[in-house]
Amino acid sequence: MPAMDKELSPLDCLLPSGTLRICLIILNQPIDEDYLRVLWNKALLRACADGAANHLYNVTAGDRDSFLPDFINGDFDSITTKVKDFYADKGCKLIETSDQDLTDFTKCLAITVEEIQRRQLQGSHILGVNTSLEGDWCGLIPVGGPCQTITTGLKWNLDNEVLEFGKLVSTSNTYEPVEPEIPRKPVTVTTDRPVLWSMGIRKK
Amino acid sequence: MEKEPQTMVHSFGTLRICLIILNQPIDEDYLRVLWNKALLRACADGAANHLYNVTAGDRDSFLPDFINGDFDSITTKVKDFYADKGCKLIETSDQDLTDFTKCLAITVEEIQRRQLQVDAIVTLGGLAGRFDQIMASVETLHHALSMSKLPLFVIQEKSLVYLLRPGSHILGVNTSLEGDWCGLIPVGGPCQTITTGLKWNLDNEVLEFGKLVSTSNTYEPVEPEIPRKPVTVTTDRPVLWSMGIRKK
Repeated sequence: MPAMDKELSPLDCLLPSGTLRICLIILNQPIDEDYLRVLWNKALLRACADGAANHLYNVTAGDRDSFLPDFINGDFDSITTKVKDFYADKGCKLIETSDQDLTDFTKCLAITVEEIQRRQLQGSHILGVNTSLEGDWCGLIPVGGPCQTITTGLKWNLDNEVLEFGKLVSTSNTYEPVEPEIPRKPVTVTTDRPVLWSMGIRKK
Repeated sequence: MEKEPQTMVHSFGTLRICLIILNQPIDEDYLRVLWNKALLRACADGAANHLYNVTAGDRDSFLPDFINGDFDSITTKVKDFYADKGCKLIETSDQDLTDFTKCLAITVEEIQRRQLQVDAIVTLGGLAGRFDQIMASVETLHHALSMSKLPLFVIQEKSLVYLLRPGSHILGVNTSLEGDWCGLIPVGGPCQTITTGLKWNLDNEVLEFGKLVSTSNTYEPVEPEIPRKPVTVTTDRPVLWSMGIRKK
């Protein structure tokens, strides 16, 4: 991987046409509705810190089902009972975080970072392919939507390219050739959305 | 205009078609009906091996207009046989495109060159075998949207797939060849969809892997003797229509 820093535009996240992939945290303040809509649509994960849920509830009247957060954390001393029950009924996770030394924001951020890792939204995978059961083909299929992908260990690697039906799909790929008696390097895949790994099995 | 995806498999159907055969075991019943209706017939590489085998005893009645590919699957015997019979062999060795995509490109070109009046292109094979190659078939369907306006149906065993381009579609489902399942699969990305004529219709809902995918769906029930209503689909992105075929 090259060591140079990639340029980052902070305000790209407010451009509907921007390419930054984000997670959204909402805090307990009046919400800027314009920002909310753009950010919500782009976000892979959306969270409310305690009373932020009250603001979200108010500002999305008439369309609340389109704005259901993945989780709401806090000691729940700000969120109203009505709002808490509403989001609970809709299946939003309520995570009680009662550590008095940390703010709701900090705790929300910690859970968000954990979720990003757990869901592998910044997913990196290492696939061992040395069982001797590997067939001679493999592929990465962007079923469900485009994904930005980086690979190593394949004959035709992806160099931060977007896989997408109609543009680029990796089929009939294979493993990086190695000298006889030398074990194959593992295949590594980094992706920003779920991507289907598919491989052939050698039958004895 | 109502389109009948299944009509081309019915002997009395009226769709005018071109036929592409891919490198998979061939359903003989489908082959005979489709071959007879087709204005143009093509084999992608190793498909010619399957055609050769399945038409033993009557091979002269089943000579394709062309066979394309890098010829790494077709056997020398089969290649020589069809070459001797005057079939065009078109070497297409672009490693970035599959044999199917290249065969389709040549077919579209031939349709234009010969000025054939065609309603649809039908492909046999492509839905079984290696998973990545099935996905490659789906990828070809996506490329086809920009290669030709003609509908492209892919048939193998008991399934037909048809990638619907953005817009509105009317699908006739009264050929008597419809199986009892159908579905809409958002294989390339989310699509906002409206349907009628299905048992479980979509009411301006977003189909998306991980959220909602319409599988094991079926047709709106009708009284006996009453013909089924057509299925209508409106979508904002390409969506894969998939339906079962009833075998006699």
